[in-house]
Amino acid sequence: MGISGVREFCRPQSARDVVDLLAKHGDRAVLLAGGTFLHGLFARGLGSGVEVLVDLQKAGLSYVKAANGGLALGAMTTFRELAESEAVQKTAEFAAIRDALQYPPAQIRNQATVGGCVASASSLFDLPVALLALDGSVKSLGPRGPRETTLAKFFVDYFEHSLEKGEFLTEVLLPKLPPRSASAFLKLETNSNDLALVNVAVRITLDQAGLCRDARVVIGGGVGKAPVRAVSCEAVLKGQRPSRTLFESAAQEVSSDIQPVSDHRASGQYRRAVAKVYLRRALLRAAERLGVEIA
Amino acid sequence: MSKMKIVGNRVLRTDAYDKVTGGKSYTVNLRLPGMLHAKLLRSPYPHARVLRVDTSRAEKLAGVKAILTAADVPQIKYHPVYFAPSTAASMVRDMLILTSTVRFAGEPVAAVAATRTEIAEEALELIHVEYEALPAVFEAAEAMKPGAPQLYEHAPNNVVMNPSFSFGDAQKGFDEADYVFENTYRTQRVHTCYMEPRVCVVDSDTSGNLTIWSSTQHIFGLREKLAFALGIPVSKVRAVKPTYIGGGFGGKLDMGFLEPVAALLSLKTGRPVRLEHTRYEDFITTARNPFEVQLKTGVKKDGTFTARWAKSILDTGAHATHGAVVLMVHGFFGFLLPYRCANQKWEGMTVYTNNIIGGGFRGYGAPQAAFAVESQIDEICDKLKLDPIEFRLKNAHSEGEQHPFDPNFTLSTYRLAECLKKGAEQIGWSKRLPAGAGNGTKKRGIGFACQPLWVSGCVGFPDIYEHSGAILKLNVDGTVNLSIATVDMGCGQNTVLSQIAAEELGVAVKDIRVTYADTDTVPFDAPSHASRVTYSAGNAVKAAAASAKRRVFQVASGLLNSSAENLEIVDGRVQVKGAPANGMPLADVVKRAESPCVNMVPDGMQRTPLEEKGTIMGSACLAPASNPSPAAVEFVEVEVDTETGEVKVLRVAYAHDIGKVINPPGAEGQVEGGLQQGMGYALMENLVFDPSSGACLAADFLNYKMPTALEMPAEITCQWVESNEPTGPFGAKSLAEACAIVPAPAIANAIYNAVGVRVRDLPITPEKILAALGKLDPA
Amino acid sequence: MKQVIALEVNGERHEIAVQPSATLLQVLREELDLLGTKQACDAGGCGCCTVLLDGRAVYSCMVFAMSAQDKKITTIEGLPKDGKLDPLQEAFIQAGAVQCGYCTSGMIMAAKEFLTSARAPSDPEIRQAISGNLCRCTGYHKTVDAIRMAASGR
Ligand SMILES: Cc1cc2nc3c(=O)[nH]c(=O)nc-3n(C[C@H](O)[C@H](O)[C@H](O)COP(=O)(O)OP(=O)(O)OC[C@H]3O[C@@H](n4cnc5c(N)ncnc54)[C@H](O)[C@@H]3O)c2cc1C
Ligand code: FES
Ligand code: FES
Repeated sequence: MGISGVREFCRPQSARDVVDLLAKHGDRAVLLAGGTFLHGLFARGLGSGVEVLVDLQKAGLSYVKAANGGLALGAMTTFRELAESEAVQKTAEFAAIRDALQYPPAQIRNQATVGGCVASASSLFDLPVALLALDGSVKSLGPRGPRETTLAKFFVDYFEHSLEKGEFLTEVLLPKLPPRSASAFLKLETNSNDLALVNVAVRITLDQAGLCRDARVVIGGGVGKAPVRAVSCEAVLKGQRPSRTLFESAAQEVSSDIQPVSDHRASGQYRRAVAKVYLRRALLRAAERLGVEIA
Repeated sequence: MSKMKIVGNRVLRTDAYDKVTGGKSYTVNLRLPGMLHAKLLRSPYPHARVLRVDTSRAEKLAGVKAILTAADVPQIKYHPVYFAPSTAASMVRDMLILTSTVRFAGEPVAAVAATRTEIAEEALELIHVEYEALPAVFEAAEAMKPGAPQLYEHAPNNVVMNPSFSFGDAQKGFDEADYVFENTYRTQRVHTCYMEPRVCVVDSDTSGNLTIWSSTQHIFGLREKLAFALGIPVSKVRAVKPTYIGGGFGGKLDMGFLEPVAALLSLKTGRPVRLEHTRYEDFITTARNPFEVQLKTGVKKDGTFTARWAKSILDTGAHATHGAVVLMVHGFFGFLLPYRCANQKWEGMTVYTNNIIGGGFRGYGAPQAAFAVESQIDEICDKLKLDPIEFRLKNAHSEGEQHPFDPNFTLSTYRLAECLKKGAEQIGWSKRLPAGAGNGTKKRGIGFACQPLWVSGCVGFPDIYEHSGAILKLNVDGTVNLSIATVDMGCGQNTVLSQIAAEELGVAVKDIRVTYADTDTVPFDAPSHASRVTYSAGNAVKAAAASAKRRVFQVASGLLNSSAENLEIVDGRVQVKGAPANGMPLADVVKRAESPCVNMVPDGMQRTPLEEKGTIMGSACLAPASNPSPAAVEFVEVEVDTETGEVKVLRVAYAHDIGKVINPPGAEGQVEGGLQQGMGYALMENLVFDPSSGACLAADFLNYKMPTALEMPAEITCQWVESNEPTGPFGAKSLAEACAIVPAPAIANAIYNAVGVRVRDLPITPEKILAALGKLDPA
Repeated sequence: MKQVIALEVNGERHEIAVQPSATLLQVLREELDLLGTKQACDAGGCGCCTVLLDGRAVYSCMVFAMSAQDKKITTIEGLPKDGKLDPLQEAFIQAGAVQCGYCTSGMIMAAKEFLTSARAPSDPEIRQAISGNLCRCTGYHKTVDAIRMAASGR
């Protein structure tokens, strides 16, 4: 049971070393970031084939830095470090990240990492939803060198991402957003120690005239195999002046974008109903961050 | 009663220092030299026959010391419940230590002891079990239908028991009613979620004597159940009282599979054996039983009950365990007794299914009943435009009446009305709006519920132990050892009992130490369960202290030249009443009693009277004189998000006729903790299982949801009504369960007041509220 | 298969042989006999196993011992200084925040980290700080009182 098969624990000192270790150990190796998802798996008896743990802590991947006007988030940056970074604390455009990182308990914020959270490819986590709304992409390193994949392409299925064997995630990149951009994130949970029943992230960018030049709407938490981009909602928003009515009609559109699941935590209909409400509220919150008067 | 020095004061817990520095003395921390670690192999099938168990590969694994299967255990059927004798007629004995017919997913079929836990786990994987899967049934209603899978021969249609009680003539009562209300309420399966896992260590000697340490609520029950299941005399089992247990709440009120298995493994190996549950194992081996309660109530226009009828169906799971008693407590203290009504009828059913077994959980059948009864009263009041407070008072019992449960007793102290008044004032009841009247997306509402009648102990209950014993021993330094079998589950029993002893003996709380106890050395005490310790064990401790005091006075009378009757102890000094200068420290009296018969002093030999000699101690073994009822009322204010159905509990005002508060912060802590459990019950907790496989879907804290600090309301007030119960120690009655029973119906009623919809099945999730508001598209 | 590693716990260096799969919680309890840190779920979420890792509260059941090698670990046993209780420990006693006590070590450690940066925290902030710690006995009310007391130095 658990991971009694583990016989080696590696602490590579650079990203290159990680690639070498993955090449050497193949499927027997598992990457370890904060460990908060992995331990959960192991505790449920899902680690029998694991023989080598590759701890990424020393690989030099803990940072939040400016890159091409946007942000580069090192894979091993903890939630807390990210939350305390200036861009996340202060700006309206990255505020969805600020919102998303408020939900997990302190122990998870201190330990869980950007890379581990994204690479878990869970449809229920929060940060990935926020990152998707910010047009994030993933930088990875493998035997054939680095490459970049948009997050939208990164998430493939339940707990499945598009990295190839021997590749691993080194960075999440967030592009520079146009001025007058703001984002927001909201989550429905049963208690404060819960994975999302539904979570939503939105980003709007206004033009000089105050019209909605661009919008991103992403829904997660049991509405699909991976967080879903609600393109129909986005279409309603584009070119329009932000208003309660606009946000309400955008929210109603979400129905055509998502196929919520029913499980022991909530029914699909309920998830659908709440997605609409939370979406409208998130849009209002984002608009508020731009200082827009909402009629 | 003279003014009290200790009882009623805000006393700091005697164990707090120890616990804030890491609290070592939990069973989970016990390590013995040579100790083996055991694990249970559990069936993945909810219903199956075990055809063959092949342990040969596991036996060969290095480090494995012993393996047990059903063939190796005594074939003695037992019931695991601590508070009732093993042979009690009202209990159903349907369990074996290891079984060859599995009746719930997770029932153990084999066990391994090894030098390390990981080895034991590995060995489990090497045991090959051949099962023949049998059809399973997971709903009580289904289980009673003809043709449903049968769990036992002794229970046709899977009905374990089907009691029925009637007072007056219900039909006549309904005929006389102006209105009749009929509703069905359902409650879910929830878990006690004690934080310390169930764990035990058992050691044995070459004569087959066992010593057991367990995280348990009752050492005498454990001794008796273990001896019974193993077929050995009780004197061969010594159960040691755990200094601390990390919570129980009723979840450790029965022998688990772990204790007898560890005992047999120890006997087999001659080594101490430790068995600790994983959280998953805890989740699948005890629960509060789910109920369906059908209520039919007849009332006059003015709100007087004319008839009450109920049928309650309890899903007891794979074994009867507590199901028989939970049903009766539910029927009597949940339904029949709390309010006056001349014509009543109640029928109960305890039904086997292939679900997990039930256990005790704070309130023991009453939370399920109170949710139904208190919700329906609100529904009636709403329909008839009656004031819910007036309604309850109109139908409630009053002080001085004969006790409705036992004609030998009266409700000598009973102040429900005062509790209602205090709670109503605190919450601002008079400002309550009509149901659903608020504006905006988030609406507020106020509601309340009562547990009008409840117990202080179990005197009067058939087949349930209710006596306590205590020994107090005085030391030459003036301190006192209190030996008592009572387990402090965390509720502060040790502190309260120390206060009672200190008050009676005239010493400080810090001078009392609750000391080592095991079943060999201290008198019997009924479990730490029900709402009994302060009242029942408290009376025994007070009597033991009084007897020690009498001995102190006998010894001191010679020293102080005064008759024993004329002495008192004040602040640790024995003195003559009215002449405090004529006295001496208690320690000196004890020293005198403990001194040699003849002492050498500078000017020769000093003889002391032989009748003064000997350790000063006092003991008492007794059952309390009555079973006085407390009364509990909880008012809550909630806020409901009408777009998502989310509920926030904003404020809580609790009021309780407690007789006398012994330790106010401890009592408040009970209410605050009771609210956490009751609120979880009301809004989110649900031990759900896969309806096809019977596998638990909520066996961890990510899936089993209970309130964290963020969900709990910021404002919780407790008001105590002190009615001074004459049979209670220093006037005290009980508290512990009532405050965990009332939150769910109070919250349900407040939600109704906020948004005007009624949810009749727990938990009241946001989804159910939204559906009731008609805001959820049909599937 | 065991590997010898050095861990600094409560200011003291220990060299111990551990399985590469061992969690920090297992090593603290089973190898170092630091039984103040409790286990109640072993899967993250109950908070009973909370310790400080370089001053940060973490679930020690979710940290591999191997990963904790060059970090400073503080457990409940490491809080008293010169025989005097930490103000938080004192406040937990005074406020009556302890019942069964099983969650207490983890609760205090979570609060400990919180109070190193929070000066005059609001009640909601305190509640947020301990939202990763479950308590089944107290309803958290007196726990919040205790942390507030410790924060204000009363
Ligand atoms: C009690 C609790 C509460 C939680 N609450 C929330 C919450 O409120 N909101 C929320 O969103 N989440 C929550 N979570 C989940 C949490 O966000 C995830 O567990 C966490 O993000 C995983 O990150 P990690 O660094 O711990 O990853 P790890 O557990 O170390 O790894 C996760 C997975 O990613 C792989 N991996 C790690 N790093 C890389 C890499 N660089 N490249 C490729 N693969 C990699 C690992 O092999 C593993 O499969 C909670 C978890 C717990 C236990
Ligand atoms: S034991 Fe680590 S969080 Fe529960
Ligand atoms: S005091 Fe018992 S769990 Fe917190």
